[in-house]
Amino acid sequence: MNKQGHNGISDGDIAISLRDVSKTFYQRQRSEKTRDVLKNMFRPNIKEIHALKNVNMEINRGEIVAYAGANGAGKSTTVKLLSSVLAPTSGTVRCLGLDPMKDRMPYVKRIGVVFGQRTELWWDQPVATSFEWKRVIWDIPEDRYEAMLDFVKDLLGLGEFFNSLARQLSLGQKMRADLGLMLMHEPEILFLDEPTIGVDVLAKRNILKFIKELNREKGVTVMLTSHDMDELEQLAGRIVMIDHGHIAFDGDFRRLRSGFGDHRYLMLETPQESAPELTGATWSHSEGNRHTFTFDAAQTPIAMLLDRAAQQTQVVDVETHRAPIDDVIADIYEGWENERAD
Amino acid sequence: MNTLKKIISRLRVQAYLDFMWMTRDSKLCLINIVSDIILNLAGVAAVFLLATRFEGIGIWSRDQIVFMLGYAALVRGIMDMGFSYNVLHISRRIGRGQMDHVLIQPQPVWMAFLTEGFMPFSGIWAFLTGVGITAWAILQLNLTLTFYWGLLFALHLFTSCIIVLAFSFLWGSLAFWAPLAAEEISSRAVNFMYQLKSFPLDGLGPYVLLSMLTVLPVGFVAWYPARQLLGLETTGIWHTTAVAMILSLVAFVAFKKGMKHYEQTGSQRYLGWGHRN
Repeated sequence: MNKQGHNGISDGDIAISLRDVSKTFYQRQRSEKTRDVLKNMFRPNIKEIHALKNVNMEINRGEIVAYAGANGAGKSTTVKLLSSVLAPTSGTVRCLGLDPMKDRMPYVKRIGVVFGQRTELWWDQPVATSFEWKRVIWDIPEDRYEAMLDFVKDLLGLGEFFNSLARQLSLGQKMRADLGLMLMHEPEILFLDEPTIGVDVLAKRNILKFIKELNREKGVTVMLTSHDMDELEQLAGRIVMIDHGHIAFDGDFRRLRSGFGDHRYLMLETPQESAPELTGATWSHSEGNRHTFTFDAAQTPIAMLLDRAAQQTQVVDVETHRAPIDDVIADIYEGWENERAD
Repeated sequence: MNTLKKIISRLRVQAYLDFMWMTRDSKLCLINIVSDIILNLAGVAAVFLLATRFEGIGIWSRDQIVFMLGYAALVRGIMDMGFSYNVLHISRRIGRGQMDHVLIQPQPVWMAFLTEGFMPFSGIWAFLTGVGITAWAILQLNLTLTFYWGLLFALHLFTSCIIVLAFSFLWGSLAFWAPLAAEEISSRAVNFMYQLKSFPLDGLGPYVLLSMLTVLPVGFVAWYPARQLLGLETTGIWHTTAVAMILSLVAFVAFKKGMKHYEQTGSQRYLGWGHRN
């Protein structure tokens, strides 16, 4: 039977729960006119920034959830609310049945947080020393520490730079060391705020592989933010998209693609340099006699397009592929911006 | 008991970190020791030379001045040893948006600050310089060292350190509301105290003196405690302790209010280089 946490929220299957969570920041607005100096100083205009507006979300234990949104959408604010750094303006945040602000100490013992451009490593110390520091501060029993150290060193390949100074590491090595450090206390939830920012493709691939393995082997719940949608699609089964403070989409990537149109590219090679006219597809560009079109596979079946092309010309070669998820998301963001403008 | 054990284990790991840092390179280790000693001696040299040239300053004999200078050096040494890594210069951490690092650790904020700045190997040289100067002055003054006097000395030293720390945290709390503008305010507050700590304040007018013992309590860093310990002041033995208590209470309230504010607003600013440096 599930244990009941605060307010009766189940502590069983639900790892993270946000109920009607809002977060408002207040920003001073200043006029550039000198005559407004006194007003700016003593009675400034205060603008309310609604970083989150009545957000409701639940994440089950063992899930990997991608949390995406344009800059300023509210991603980092959410991660801070969930990691005991910020308090919500209103609403209820519960993780593992605990209130991140009121139960800060027992709670942070059970979670791991990595902010992409920050480090918990001791800058002027070998990586190994930071791990020893972590053992003491998190009160990790010696046997668990040794077992976890072997595990993370092996999985993340920390051995090659374990005795190097933190400030001498490359970005990828630093991120791997930070990830390893974060895992030493065996957290039940990981919050990864842009964990692969600035790292090269190989390091990125290793980090993603590691997160997947960790989720599979230890059942760790992962909430991950990134601007790299391909990365999120590789890793997460579910994507939550936030737009100007509210959840605009919550589902899997397939539903995301189909919900917003199944955008694909079609490349046709013909004997002529002029592109055929294909109703239901939009010509994108041509390189010699290779012509690229975009189309929505949900609206226009590919067979229909090929049939139309064959009626106009000889088709020498065909290639089709899905639009990168980045393009899909960019279209979605653009759509939201346009809706707001209307 | 459990809390005490935790504090000790944290101090031990910080000592280990400091030892590892200090012993990373023989040349750097030596440079660190020599420069710390020179800096601390330079900090008290001007007043010492004045006292020697004029055979004392006001009611203070040359050796009494040296005692006060030694006491001041001890205060600085303890602060260097106990509150490094920008714990003493707390506004840097707040202003740079780096309180998040403390908040994601499973320990009270006070425990992090009490233990994280402990550097007993690299920070001890200023303290040892203070010990040397004070011991020399005690010998010259032929002071009778009783247990009571020793206790009084330890109490004053402790409360003087509390005053420096509280003063820094009090001003540093401003960085919660003005992160950029107040990032260096703790450093300024501490430097203000360090620069004036070596001067005997006897010749000042009553209002200036009063301000140096209240709103800008620099008089309690060395001058007033030294007067007590040398018998130049016969009343007000608890003044330093009382000021330390009041100032730390005010600093505590200000910091707590600041933390509440931080919980609501977070920081819009984050400087990424090693957050403890």
